[in-house]
Amino acid sequence: MTIFRKIKSINWPGIRENKLYRNLASLKTSCILLCILACFYIIGTIFPQGAQFNDYIKSGGGFITFVIFFDLLNIFNTPAFLIIALVLFINLAICTFERFLTLWSRSKAAAADWQFTPSYTFPLDIKHELKSAEESVKEIFKKELRFKEKACQTYGIYTMEKGWSYRWLTWIYHIAILFCFLGFLMTYLFSFEDEIALYPGEVTVIKPTAASRWNKSWGNKSQPLGFKLELAEFITEYNQLPKLEYPADKLSRLAFAMGWKDPKYTLKEESYFPKDWKSRLKVIKGKRTVLEKTIEVNDPLSYQDITFYQAAYKQNLKIQIDDNPILFETETGKELIIPGVDGMLKFDTMMTGTLFKKEGGIEKIRPFTEVTLVKKEGSGKTEAENIGKLEQDGAIYIDNKRISIKEFKEASILSYRYDPGVPLLWWSGVVVLLAMSLRVFGAWYRITYRIEEKDGASYLLLKVNTKGLIADHERLIKKVKHALISAAEPIDHDTPV
Amino acid sequence: MSNLETILSRDAYILSIEVRLFWLVALLYGICLILYLIHLTTKKTGAGRLATNMLWVAVITHAGLILLRTFEGQRAPFQTLYESLSWFAWSASITYLYVERKWKDIFLPGILVTSLAVGASLYALLTRSPAVEPLSPPLQSYWFEWHVILAFLSYAVFVVSCSIEIVYLAINSSVKKGLRLEYGLNRGNLETFHRTSFRLALFGFPLLTFGIFSGAAWANEAWGRYWGWDPKETWSLITWTVFAIYLHSMSIQKWKELPASLFNILGFICMLMTFIGVNWLARLLGIPSLHLYAM
Repeated sequence: MTIFRKIKSINWPGIRENKLYRNLASLKTSCILLCILACFYIIGTIFPQGAQFNDYIKSGGGFITFVIFFDLLNIFNTPAFLIIALVLFINLAICTFERFLTLWSRSKAAAADWQFTPSYTFPLDIKHELKSAEESVKEIFKKELRFKEKACQTYGIYTMEKGWSYRWLTWIYHIAILFCFLGFLMTYLFSFEDEIALYPGEVTVIKPTAASRWNKSWGNKSQPLGFKLELAEFITEYNQLPKLEYPADKLSRLAFAMGWKDPKYTLKEESYFPKDWKSRLKVIKGKRTVLEKTIEVNDPLSYQDITFYQAAYKQNLKIQIDDNPILFETETGKELIIPGVDGMLKFDTMMTGTLFKKEGGIEKIRPFTEVTLVKKEGSGKTEAENIGKLEQDGAIYIDNKRISIKEFKEASILSYRYDPGVPLLWWSGVVVLLAMSLRVFGAWYRITYRIEEKDGASYLLLKVNTKGLIADHERLIKKVKHALISAAEPIDHDTPV
Repeated sequence: MSNLETILSRDAYILSIEVRLFWLVALLYGICLILYLIHLTTKKTGAGRLATNMLWVAVITHAGLILLRTFEGQRAPFQTLYESLSWFAWSASITYLYVERKWKDIFLPGILVTSLAVGASLYALLTRSPAVEPLSPPLQSYWFEWHVILAFLSYAVFVVSCSIEIVYLAINSSVKKGLRLEYGLNRGNLETFHRTSFRLALFGFPLLTFGIFSGAAWANEAWGRYWGWDPKETWSLITWTVFAIYLHSMSIQKWKELPASLFNILGFICMLMTFIGVNWLARLLGIPSLHLYAM
């Protein structure tokens, strides 16, 4: 309460009369700022964000002068964007503060200065004295229709409300949006992320090579994390994926629609579709395992504010040519030059792990890779020829050379991230959603009424305001009518004024 | 015949039924569109009523189709663009029918809704593969289902909101002069009709917010980044921003009429851009997108 008193004691009228403040407190300013931000967003989807400038030019990107001048490949980190976002934050903060002052004073002053223009007139039982009619109507609204009294005015005008106050709900989710902004700011300043490749059985000290913006700007170097990580096991699982024989051209598809042809599924031996990648991780502190968890995509491991995510995997091969003791090292997906072979060899992903078969069985995969021979022609074009399937304990022959896999190692690649903005963003996001849903989908009713005596009869003059999508004005009027009939036996139906 | 062959031919048989049923649904949507256009040109209420009845038939058949697809894939039916286009056509049509039932003989918004339903269905049928594929690891998340369901519900609501807004802009001056009353709108119901557009956008806005929020939560769980300025993410934010402007402009006296209406239509265009246009844009400009699986 003292904070409110202090806030109230500041010379608000002086500040609030300032033109800049008035502009910043305007809803129109909010809309204009949102429009400007939307333009930034659109630009951000036209130019590839985070792309290297040289790559952009190589891929035929245009508007080079503009791209350089306005830093369009990194538009969401440009001062212009950040300033607009900051002004929007200030605008939102001022609007929310102004709203608070209005709501606070309104809740104290109640609805004393509200204009009363009734929309409905209900005749009441003429046997009632005026005061008792007032009392009984109040009782009906309170007990039967569950309204809460908000104000009793000097001219006998009563205001009652039912449901969550839409004004406060609106205010709450705007405040929560402000906290979301703070969450974004924390992420922007303090988060960092990096990647690590773990081989089964190896214990690795994690030393981030990346630093947060905050640390970078102060020249702080990243420190190793206070724990080690061990990959106990890396698991890969595949589904068998049947291929659908279905035409691409539109006319043939129409033929399918007419029933002239039927779709057909075929299943090739090597048609594997990734089902899951899992890493069984151990967090080691000192010499003790403090945490053990199997992570997969969508199920990360969190320890001491750092979260580890299953990102990818890396496969290393040692290739033997004939019986030569000198081995060639390569990674799957990369090209390898072998002396005496015309072209480069490319080994596809080594299929290992478990296969979930279409007909329901589970089978251990005999590790294999598909080998391709890539030849580069003089014109710069590449030609790829599929050589065949190479099993881990088998061999294939190219240009009379026997090629076999001598060693295979697989690493799990984890990305890890520190982001202190997430909890704040999470909780404020939940508040935004709750308050917004209650405001939009909920029901809020305000009734303002007066009892009037005319020609010896009593009448209830009623005005109804509703907010929220499920608020039903007509249903409320029906309920009021029904409640008045059963309680006071009014002599006639309602008559709209 | 081996067990595997039996399973494959069974799947192919179910798929053939499903694809043909989808063609039938597209045809029904097309007939509805023609009937609504007949209503527009002849001003006959009967054509509008028939179109609405036909649309009910199309929506019920389409609901059956979606159930069949769910049974076929053993998962929620909106993983691929083929599936989400089907879901979009259905959800927009059923939302329209729900809203339309409260009106008396007003059918004009049906033109845009059925046009989109026909367009989405034909786009799916003619250009996308109907193959039922298992979920890839990143899509195996409960956030994914919430994300897609809520986003598409909001899209459906925005489609109907925009249809009403366009009809209102096209007809309101005539109706106020006492003209074109054959379309069911008159001075008495015109503003209520227009208010439905605002109420629908108001309904859709929290859904879109939840859709974006659940998408961010999913991205945070899968990739450790709740926001990556991916083109699809950014366009969803643009849509959200435009609808936020629209809802706020309804509180600004000077912007309440035409500017607000234009923001509503712009929001709808941004929504289409988020759903379909961004895929085209990302391919055209060669921008990598995490949402490429849905293209």
